[in-house]
Formats: sequence, C-alpha cells, structure tokens
Amino acid sequence: MDQKNIRNFCIIAHIDHGKSTLADRILEMTDTVAERDMKSQLLDDMELERERGITIKLNAVQLSYKAKDGNEYIFNLIDTPGHVDFTYEVSRSLAACEGALLVVDSTQGVQAQTLANTYLALDNDLEILPVINKVDMNNSQPEHTKKEIEDIIGLDCEDAPLISARTGLNVDQVLEQIVTKITAPSGDPDAPLQALVFDSFYDPYRGVIALVRVREGTLKPGDKIRFMATGASYEVLETGIRNPREVRVSALRAGDVGWFAASIKSIQDVRVGDTVTGDLNPAKQPLSGYRKLNPMVYCGLYPSDAAKYEDLHDALDKLQLNDASLHYEAETSQALGFGFRCGFLGLLHMDVVQERLEREYNLDLICTAPSVIYHVYLSDGSMLEIDNPAKMPDASRIDHVEEPYVRASIMVPDEYIGAVMELCQNKRGIYYSMDVIDEGRNTIVYDMPLSEIIYDFFDRLKSCSKGYASLDYELTGYRKEDLVRMDILLNGETVDALSVIVHRSEAYKRGSGITIRLKELIPKQQFEIPVQAAIGGKVIARTNIKSLRKNVLAKCYGGDISRKKKLLEKQKEGKKRMKAVGSVVIPQEAFMSVLSMENDPQK
Amino acid sequence: MIPRNKPEYLYVHVPFCKGICHYCDFAHTVYDQARADQWLNALEKEILYREIRPDLKTVYIGGGTPSSLNESQLEKLLSLIAPYSRHICEYTMEVNPETLTKAKAQIMADYGISRISIGFQCAQPEMLAKLGRHHTKEDVLNAMELLRSYGIDNISLDLMYSLPQQTMDMLKESIDTALSYRPKHLSLYSLTIEENTVFGKRGVQPLDEDTEADMYEYICRTLPQHGFEQYEISNFALEGFQSVHNRAYWTYRDFAGVSCGASGKEGLLRYDHTSSLKEYLQDPLKTSDIPLSKEDAMFEMVMMNLRLKEGMSLDLFQKTFGISFEEAFHGKYEQLTDSAQLCMENGMLRCTEQSWHILNSVLSALL
Repeated sequence: MDQKNIRNFCIIAHIDHGKSTLADRILEMTDTVAERDMKSQLLDDMELERERGITIKLNAVQLSYKAKDGNEYIFNLIDTPGHVDFTYEVSRSLAACEGALLVVDSTQGVQAQTLANTYLALDNDLEILPVINKVDMNNSQPEHTKKEIEDIIGLDCEDAPLISARTGLNVDQVLEQIVTKITAPSGDPDAPLQALVFDSFYDPYRGVIALVRVREGTLKPGDKIRFMATGASYEVLETGIRNPREVRVSALRAGDVGWFAASIKSIQDVRVGDTVTGDLNPAKQPLSGYRKLNPMVYCGLYPSDAAKYEDLHDALDKLQLNDASLHYEAETSQALGFGFRCGFLGLLHMDVVQERLEREYNLDLICTAPSVIYHVYLSDGSMLEIDNPAKMPDASRIDHVEEPYVRASIMVPDEYIGAVMELCQNKRGIYYSMDVIDEGRNTIVYDMPLSEIIYDFFDRLKSCSKGYASLDYELTGYRKEDLVRMDILLNGETVDALSVIVHRSEAYKRGSGITIRLKELIPKQQFEIPVQAAIGGKVIARTNIKSLRKNVLAKCYGGDISRKKKLLEKQKEGKKRMKAVGSVVIPQEAFMSVLSMENDPQK
Repeated sequence: MIPRNKPEYLYVHVPFCKGICHYCDFAHTVYDQARADQWLNALEKEILYREIRPDLKTVYIGGGTPSSLNESQLEKLLSLIAPYSRHICEYTMEVNPETLTKAKAQIMADYGISRISIGFQCAQPEMLAKLGRHHTKEDVLNAMELLRSYGIDNISLDLMYSLPQQTMDMLKESIDTALSYRPKHLSLYSLTIEENTVFGKRGVQPLDEDTEADMYEYICRTLPQHGFEQYEISNFALEGFQSVHNRAYWTYRDFAGVSCGASGKEGLLRYDHTSSLKEYLQDPLKTSDIPLSKEDAMFEMVMMNLRLKEGMSLDLFQKTFGISFEEAFHGKYEQLTDSAQLCMENGMLRCTEQSWHILNSVLSALL
C-alpha cells in the first residue's frame, strides 16, 4: 500500500465519553471484523477491561477502508485509556500517530481529561478532529458542546461530525474526515530503520512481541535489528499487523504500525520508548521518545504464600513489559516477609496491576497501603527519599520532612462548588483559583498534598458532585509539612507494614480511626489483642479486639458430616488473603485501613 | 447370612411434619396420609433391598416428625425395622408432644423403643410461637408422663438458645423447667439460621456473639451442677444415658441411612438420599454416592471425635487408617499442641477446655 493511503490515528476522550464504542463502530464499518466476532468493546480484550468497562492498555489494529474518493486506505487505529492514571499510556499511543479523534460526550461537554488529553495531542503535533458523541440522547447539547470546545480548547468545530457511536449515526463522516483531514505518514522506506517501540507483551512461545511504529526504513523477517537504548540485537522472525487478530505481513515499511517477533527471551532487552534500528545499517540517532512519567504512588506487594515470591518476581517482570510505568524493587518486611515495593502512576493503576497479577498469574497477594515519596531531610543535611513509611528514620535524626504536592484542576457545575471546596479543604487543600468556563461551569484549582489525593479523593469527588465533577492534576513539587510516622502495634508488637506517615495535627483522629477499623477487620482470636497507634513510642490511641469465645457448629450428626466439612473449607478459603503476623492473623483489607479516617462510614 | 461388614447403626428418616418449624432445614413435607402410605411402601422396598444386618446395635428414627404418622402407619414402620432390631441396645425415636397419643405410645413400647427425643425448645409460649412450634411446655410434660406410663423413661429434651429476642432469664427459665421434668439427657443447640428456612428467608438475625457465648457458658456451667455431664459440644447426659447412636457418629463409625433425606457411610463411601419426597417415591433405591479420599476421612474422623469431651482414640485412628494421627497431621498438629489447643492423654486426643468451644478454629488449622 502506498504510504499516502495510510492513516495512523488514535481516539482520545474523557473517561466514559464513548471512545471504545466509537472504536467498535469504526471496526464494524470498515468490515475488518466480521459481525459474528463483534463483542462490545472489541479493543478492550483484557478481561479486566471488559469487566470494568474501561480501557487500560493501548491496542493497535489495522483496518482497510474504501473512501468516497474511490481509493482504498489503511487505517491504523490505536486505542487509548481515558483515566487520569494512564496519561502515560496515552502519550505512548500519540507518539505512533499523525492524528487523533477527540470524542466529547454532548451530554456532558468538555471535561478535565478532555483538556489534558488534547494538550498531550497538541504537544505531539497531532491533527485533532473533534467528534461530538451521544447526540441521540435526550439531554444531548451538541451546539453547546461545540461552542465549549471552541471556547475552552480553541479547536474549530464547524465540521465536527455529530455522531452516536452507539447507533453508528454519522460515523461514516468520521471515517471520511480521517482520510481528508489527517495527514499521511512520511518517511523513506529505503532509509536506515527507525521504529518506535510503543508497547510490548510476552508470548510464552515466541518471546517478547514488540509493537512498533516504523518512522523510517523497512522492517522484515530475516533482518538483524538492534534496540538502540539497550544495545541488544536480534534477528527478526515474524512481522505482522493486528486486525484485531494477529496477521503476518512480509514487511513493515515507513509509516506502518505493526508488531515483530524475534525470539526475544530476555524481557529486559525491550524497553517501551526505545528505537529499533538495523544492526548493519543503523540510524544515526534514536527517535525522540515521549513524556515518560514517574510513579507517584508506592505500595508493598507480598505473596500471601511466602513460597510464591519467585512467581511474583517473574509476573512483575512480564507485566512490566507492556506497562513500563510499573516500577518495583525487592524489599523485606518484618511482618510480611519477602516482597516488592512497587511504584504506580495512581491508585487505579495500582488496583489494575494487583488484579492482573492475581488473575493472569494466579497469585494471592497482600498489598500494603499506598504511599507517596517523602523527602526526609536529616539533621546532618542529607536527604532521604522515603517511599515506605516503615523506613522513615527516627524523629531525633530528622530536621524536616517534605511531601509532594499536586495542582488539582476540578471542573464542576455551580451547584456543587461548595461540596467540592469542602472536600478539598478536608484533604488539606490550599485554594489557588476559580474560573468560570461558561455559564454554570467552573474550574476550581487547589494545591493539595498528593497523599490526600491518591486514596479515595476521586471517588469522593464523584459522590459529592453526583458524578459531575472531573479531575486532572499534575505534580508541582515538594512542600515542608509537619509529618510524623505513626506505628500500629498489634498485641504489643509494631507491624511495620501498617506504619503510615500522617500530618501531626491529624494524628489523633487518624490513629483512632485506624485502630477502630482494625478492630472491625481483624478476626477475633483466642486471646484478646490490644490494637495501638503510637508516635515515637507514645501510644495515642488504643482499642482491644476481644477474644473469640465460641466458634463451633451447634449440630453435627451423621448426615451433616460432608456439609459441615465444606463449611469449614469455605471459611478457610475466606482466610486466604490473610497473613499471620506473629500470633495475629491480618486480612488484606486491614493493610488498607490505615488510610481510613475517624467516623468514616465509607471505609 | 449376616452381612458382617455392614454398619451396626441405622438411621431412618421420616420426612413428614404437622407444621414447618421456622429454623428447620431437614428434609420434610407437611403430613398427608396418602403420601405417607406411599412413602411406607417405598421404604419397605428400600429396606428389603439394602443389606441391613439383623443384629443392629442402635436404630434412630428421626425427622421430620416420626410421631406425625398415624397409628397404623407407625406400626407398619416399626414392623419394617423389627427384623433387624432384635439385639438392639438403644432404639430412639423423635417425638413431637402434640402428635403423641396413648395408642402410639403403646405401639412404641411394643416394638421396643427404648429412648425418646422430644423437642422442648424453650419454656415461653410466645417464643415457641415465633419458632413456628405448636406445643406448650405442659404438652411436653404430659407426653413424658404418658411415655413413662408405658415404661419408656429414657427421655431426652432438645432446647434452643441464642434465639432472636431471647434473654438470659428466658434461657434460665427454660433450663429450670426442662430439668424439673426429669429428663435423662439434654441437647442444647444454638440457633443456626440456614438459608432455606423460614428464618433465613425472613432475614432473621442471630443474637450477638457475646450474648450467645454468655448463654453457652451458663449452660456448660449449670447442667453439670444437676448431674448432666457435657459429653459433647451440645449434649449433656446423666450417668449411663449418653446417646449410643449419636456417639457412633462422633466416633466416626459406619452407619446406614434409609429413606429420603437420610445419609449413610460405609468405609470410604458416603451416600445421600434425595431430600425430595417425590423423587424418593419414584426410586427409593437411588442414592448419590460420594467417595471419600483417605485424607477426607482422616479429617472427618478428627472433626467428629473432637466434638466429644473425651476426644479421639489415637489407637482407633491408627487402626482405621494405618497411619498415626501425629504423622497424618504432621506440622499442623505440633502447632496446635504447642499452643495448648490440643492435648494427648491416656491414648486420647482431645481439645483443651479453652479450645473446645472454638472447635472450628482448631479444625480449620487441621484442614
């Protein structure tokens, strides 16, 4: 196919604005996927994505489209996630495209992530086509939405298609605009190879499969290639595209998006963002990568069965292949044994990784409460980066502590301004600004400690605004705060995995909240268990878990035996995600409870 | 010829009741004369088909409500079992006070019924009504007097505690009343709300754990003061009146079970009858068989035996499985003895006083 007939594009949108649905319609209307194969949200093939109705991993498919000009075009569609945690994934897909469809839900208008993703696309010099979605809904306001996009983002919406991705209405206009408005890729198929690795995954039979966008040159089986950053070289065995099934092709040329396999067994050799070049005729320099994000949230992941440590290690290695934003390093906890301190982009990311490890790698995990990275300045002038509260040095050695702050932009209708501001204040937010976007809608900006955002801020924001508020945030730097480590003692012993860093002014409130919550979560045992919260050895809150007095089946006669045994087995199964720490058995939820507040019915 | 390897203990399930108690999830259906006749015919077929040994040690007729059968049906039932009960040492039948008549008591005595179990439940009429019971405490006493007049004095009463809205005083009153009726044996069951019962469907909530534990401790403290030894988690008996049949379950003996809703165990095979009367009538010989692994059986033997105060005979375990308990539960058993949850004494393995009441936790550790 001639390069001028190729279009590489992605779809960007705020979460739930209909991105994956539009991708489904495009797949259908280009006849690439037979109707019988059509499941809804075809691109979301990870079990977890389908279940949660969100897109986590980007996914690239090739489609062919016969345009009204009579020519046949190849579309490479790259799906992107919409959640704030996955900005990084979005920028990866953008780097492989020339254009982006910006989908905006006409019942909701421009949202925080609409803006954030549009700016990312503009940074990458992409042609942006606004698409107004959900026009079949009763409460759709297409004209208003178009005006919002023009006013807030500054994109011309005169030709923006008014579509219903659900019914397929006017999606044909979108297809035509892809042809007419998005530029064809450039690049010389005969130049030295430069291909950007934008994703990769591990196939047990073929090794690492890399997804690439070829910028210059040609990539075909038999070629000797080299990864420019890692220096590893391999012979290409297969090249192909996805439609969405894998299809082999004889070569990938400048402008193409596809995958290649080279029997790569060493996971470390392939880095997303690296450039693939020819081993014999290498390019002079690698392609510029893209904005790489560092993890903002850390937690400890431990196998509940200590014997599974190596399995967890292996699973993390494989998961990192197509999730370069996942960081991890080995750590040891007195309470939990050997595990990993893992870094994530946000809470949803953390959740998703944890669930993928459990489902796809069949692991049973204990996950400690998420923490941010604190900068701890010691009396001797040195600075420690602390990503695990248990590692916080003794107060006597500390000069001061700084914590990361974010600038949070929240778009919210008038009627919820009060509730949202109250929430921000409660989370130690510092008011920055408030701007009216258009009639009835505002952007409120707060500077807030990241630690207050990572846990449940998003959920609370949604519930206090009936779902109307949307959030975007960016890290702005570190600020000095009066922060202390609070330890939790069970049965008189400090459980390192339960330590938490809190603001001194909130220590008492947090301490009693946590101890009360632990009392509810930790199953009664045969002895009374004191639960204490302490700062520097001084107990500031305590409660007791009463001892288990009676736990026995009332009746057990001949006909009951099998049933009662099953009951015991079921009870035992329920204890799987628990960890014995000393003489106390602690369930998984308990490790999260250190984030709970006093009088907090939600958690 | 006597089938020597067959169980020495027989359970017969009578699937009829006059009314449905709100906590009961045993197989039962409301009594209907014609259906009961059909059921007896089916049972006859099953009994003839099963190889039941003629020298049974015990028979237990439970339900349901065996006394809900009319007199001729009761006589027919007992005559079906008679060929096997000549050498019997304990012959128990469950009786509901309001369904017992003089004629039925006469039949029971004639056929050698030696032990009666009556659902007393509690002393308060309003509480009995809540349970869906249709008797009063006086009915219980009258039934006991009637049975005694026919020479049946080995009577056990069932009581329930941890009932919704039950107070400690109500429990004390119930126990005092029951004791004043001079039973030989008492079973005290805490209410377990099963899904498929009236209580379960109504979403009835059990009493809080602490009150339940208080009640249980009161029971375990009080009954021995009146000569009733606690020989099992929920069972108390005067000396010489422990239930031989139920002890067979707890010592993990083989037992036969006939009729719908009944189960049996022979070695490493457990079988269940359908709980549906309709299905049973269609094919009374059909059972669903569950083969047990040796590991299943070893655990079950411990699970049942530890319910007894005296615990499990280590020798019997070794003889049954060809492996010692210590070896079979290696690693788990040491933890439990080290933490004083299990102890070994005079060839017996038993719970300690502290761990007996939390047997589930102990068993969980052995699973």
